[in-house]
Amino acid sequence: MKHDPPLRTLIIGAGIAGMQAALEIANAGYGVVLVERLPSIGGRMAQLSETFPTLDCAQCILTPRTVETGHHPLIELFTYSQVKDIEPFPAGEGTGFRVLIHRHPAYVNWDVCTGCGYCQEKCPVRVDSEFERNLGKRKAIYTLSPQAVPNKPVIDRQHCIFFQRGKCRACERFCPTGAIDYTQEAQSVEIEVHAIILATGYELYDLSHLPEYGGGRMADVIDALAFERLLSASGPTAGKILRPSDGTVPREVVFIQCAGSRDPERHLPYCSKICCMYAAKQAMLYRHRVHDGQAYVFYIDIRAAGKRYDEFTQRAMEEDNVLYLRGKVSRLMRKDGKVYVLGADTLSGRQIEIAADLVVVAPAMLPHPETRRLAGMLGLPTDEHGWLLPLEPHLHPVETIRPGVFLAGTVTGPMDIPETVAHAGGAAAKVLSMFLHRTGALAGGAG
Amino acid sequence: MARIGVFVCHCGLNIAGTVNVQQVIEAVRGYPDVVFATDYRYMCSEPGQTLIRQAIAEYALDGLVVAACSPAMHESTFRKAAAAAGLNPYRVEIANIREQVAWPHQSEPEKATEKALDTVVSIVEKVRHDEPLVPLTFPVTRRVLVIGGGVAGLTAALEIANAGYPVLLVERSERLGGHVAQLSHLYPSFDPSDTLLTPLIEAVTSHPLIQVLTDAEVTGWEGQAGNFTVTVRGIPSPVKVGAAILATGFELYAQQRLPEYGGGRYPDVIDSLQFEAMLKAGEIHRPSDGRIPQEVVWVQCAGSRDPVSHCPYCSKICCMYVAKQAALYRRAIPGGQAYVFYIDVRSQGRGYEEFVRQVMEEYEVVYLRGKVSKIIERNGVLEVWGADTLSGQALHLNADLVVLAPAAIPGTGSEVLARLMRVATDESGFFAEVHPKLRPVESFTAGIYLAGAAQFPKDIRESVAQAAGAAAKVLQLFARGEMVAEPTVATVDEELCAGCGRCVEVCPYDARTMHPWRKLATVNAALCQSCGACAVACPNKATTIKNLSPRQIMAMVEALL
Repeated sequence: MKHDPPLRTLIIGAGIAGMQAALEIANAGYGVVLVERLPSIGGRMAQLSETFPTLDCAQCILTPRTVETGHHPLIELFTYSQVKDIEPFPAGEGTGFRVLIHRHPAYVNWDVCTGCGYCQEKCPVRVDSEFERNLGKRKAIYTLSPQAVPNKPVIDRQHCIFFQRGKCRACERFCPTGAIDYTQEAQSVEIEVHAIILATGYELYDLSHLPEYGGGRMADVIDALAFERLLSASGPTAGKILRPSDGTVPREVVFIQCAGSRDPERHLPYCSKICCMYAAKQAMLYRHRVHDGQAYVFYIDIRAAGKRYDEFTQRAMEEDNVLYLRGKVSRLMRKDGKVYVLGADTLSGRQIEIAADLVVVAPAMLPHPETRRLAGMLGLPTDEHGWLLPLEPHLHPVETIRPGVFLAGTVTGPMDIPETVAHAGGAAAKVLSMFLHRTGALAGGAG
Repeated sequence: MARIGVFVCHCGLNIAGTVNVQQVIEAVRGYPDVVFATDYRYMCSEPGQTLIRQAIAEYALDGLVVAACSPAMHESTFRKAAAAAGLNPYRVEIANIREQVAWPHQSEPEKATEKALDTVVSIVEKVRHDEPLVPLTFPVTRRVLVIGGGVAGLTAALEIANAGYPVLLVERSERLGGHVAQLSHLYPSFDPSDTLLTPLIEAVTSHPLIQVLTDAEVTGWEGQAGNFTVTVRGIPSPVKVGAAILATGFELYAQQRLPEYGGGRYPDVIDSLQFEAMLKAGEIHRPSDGRIPQEVVWVQCAGSRDPVSHCPYCSKICCMYVAKQAALYRRAIPGGQAYVFYIDVRSQGRGYEEFVRQVMEEYEVVYLRGKVSKIIERNGVLEVWGADTLSGQALHLNADLVVLAPAAIPGTGSEVLARLMRVATDESGFFAEVHPKLRPVESFTAGIYLAGAAQFPKDIRESVAQAAGAAAKVLQLFARGEMVAEPTVATVDEELCAGCGRCVEVCPYDARTMHPWRKLATVNAALCQSCGACAVACPNKATTIKNLSPRQIMAMVEALL
């Protein structure tokens, strides 16, 4: 065979699924190339405050993973990068792929940068931060969060004064190690791998698709990830619950579930699976922060199926006095600094109107656009919503029609963290099984 | 003279919201041997760890105290960071000022700050006397034991065998396939379940590396991760294995425990597996008189979600299989009427929501939101009493057949296995995972992993994914070929040991034995769990736990007083 070991795996997406699979494979002694579109790893979980049902802070349980991934001698990180092309080895050369990775220019020489943060302090530009779901600001030179791995900044060309008007250079002037490099260009790297795991995750249905809930333009109507940032100690309000419009503490907060989910006529027919649990958690955490506040949750069915999940939602209702209302919210209205929530309580059969200070919407989950792009590149089938289809749903949940290409986590549909971790472990098992078989298992691990 | 650094973590607001971190830093700076002290928002983060590594180099630190969360969370994180900077990791200790200080004393910030300082200085005393140690390594036996021949166990076995490692698969019953073998069809495809199971069983039984033992049971278990010895009823001699996967599945809550539904009393009240058997046989009839039932009621959450009388948890799989059963009933008996009583319809998974909608709309199954309160049999008719919580009305239906969806409870024999193999279980008897989010396939016992419903009820797809996840853990261990263990185990000072043997008596892990010919007690470091029972029992203080010596303990206590 032409391609001798060392065998290595390309993993696309460095959220919890991608990191889990990477560590699983690297700890068995095989190399991993981990490609992440954003400047740092951690994915959606890095945006979360605390996690159900234990209320462990997400940062506390995630950080060891991001740091371990970042430092692992067998994991090569390509952050701020995208896979541009994948070419299978010619027939007869075994399972393998030639992969073209495109690294975006950070305009910072990461080999020299120490991550001190001076550049971010000195940069005069303040723009909305995507990581903070636009509730907080970042600079034109930025890292996603203070806990970023790798802790190296990138310059956002669109907002950088130097790139737009040729002036400023503040970051360059103050950088103590001379790491700023405005002339840096995109890099293309070609590598060979012997397995691929797709772990590009999900995104949320944009509020603009939900005109009935303000379409993303109504003040104090935010999505669930934005609320996570409000709850997070490292978020824009340092963990204080303040409404975006006027910075006051909201006394009445309404959580709307199934926003875009379970609605085959107007939106998406499927259940997004994770919202029931995180809404219960969010309502609970809100009550822990604002003791005299009232939390309402509008739901169709409470889907708390998992170890200690049902008990958790019970606790939200009984101990934290979260008021659950079975019914769908028909619309929202902004009046006198309040958001009026109009809905039906299908249990009492009555119309309900709540004058809320803040409304948190749990939008449907969608496959990430990267997933569609990669599915096209690899010729992988998806369902009509764009979720990747496994080879067979029951016994082959992580395999695809392409030998050597596996799926991990929410690329296949909505999943919560434990299911994602197990699923990603399953994808890693397939890779390890394939590699060990190839090298001769009893001869030991990596070749 | 030691050179100790103290690093106090804010943990966002978790610690800093209660403890005055600056005050702790100021106070500890003056403590003997503390040459550096600082704080950071998240010490475990990349910049936090960089701070630690740089300080080790800059101040030539030879010991660290990290005041942060429980050592269960981040001890290994900080030890690794220190090792990367050239410091022996066993000279790094955690002062737990989150779980033991900030969280329980939120209402008393001043006292909490005082306690945080006391905690930190007592750990400084410990670090002062910590010995630099090296982790222990043991070779691994590269064969796995899989207990349970259901879909999870079969998947795990096949995955590991396909990689090239031998598998011993032990199944209690006479056949492989577990509960899936009892099912008629799958949801949401309506494919016969045999189309899925038969090839899987075939692949396992024909695999040269898988030894299948049916009608067998694990009766003996000893050793430690990497090197266990298992005794199985049905084979003559014990077998050495390096790891085990528990795939013991679930059982249905016995109908007899549901007297309110006439379970076990009325012949025409059956459980969902009995109904599967009817579907599989293609004959749906009432057990009492053989008539074809024209009105069938499914009762969900029978024993689930009922913290007062039965199981507090949701059994997760019932909503979907009930929808499937009702649809198959309607297919088989087009004139029949199907009703489903539910609390919440939990159809979460790709295609599941759409499936239930199809069952309601195309198969015209009537869903009633409410709990059934009682079932009474009168003249061969079952009266089902319940409430429709949507209309707010009490409801009463006459049925020919009632199908209960009983709670899923831990598989038979899992309790015995848990004791035998020393594996922790949760409050419901399912095997406990190390961390519900990030370590869902690992048991608390090193080398023993969890697959499928043994950990909590799961459907086929999820069981299979988790079984593969457990297999990944085993493959990782076998590929490495060695097991690494903590060196902080019991040790014997031969000068002091009188050979009385009390340590051997008290050791719960069989880690202590007498020397074969010298009058001396010895330690099997691979088995020792550092519990300290021997150290307490030793009358001469000849036995101590490494880095938890009496001298250290006394110094820590003095610092606290």
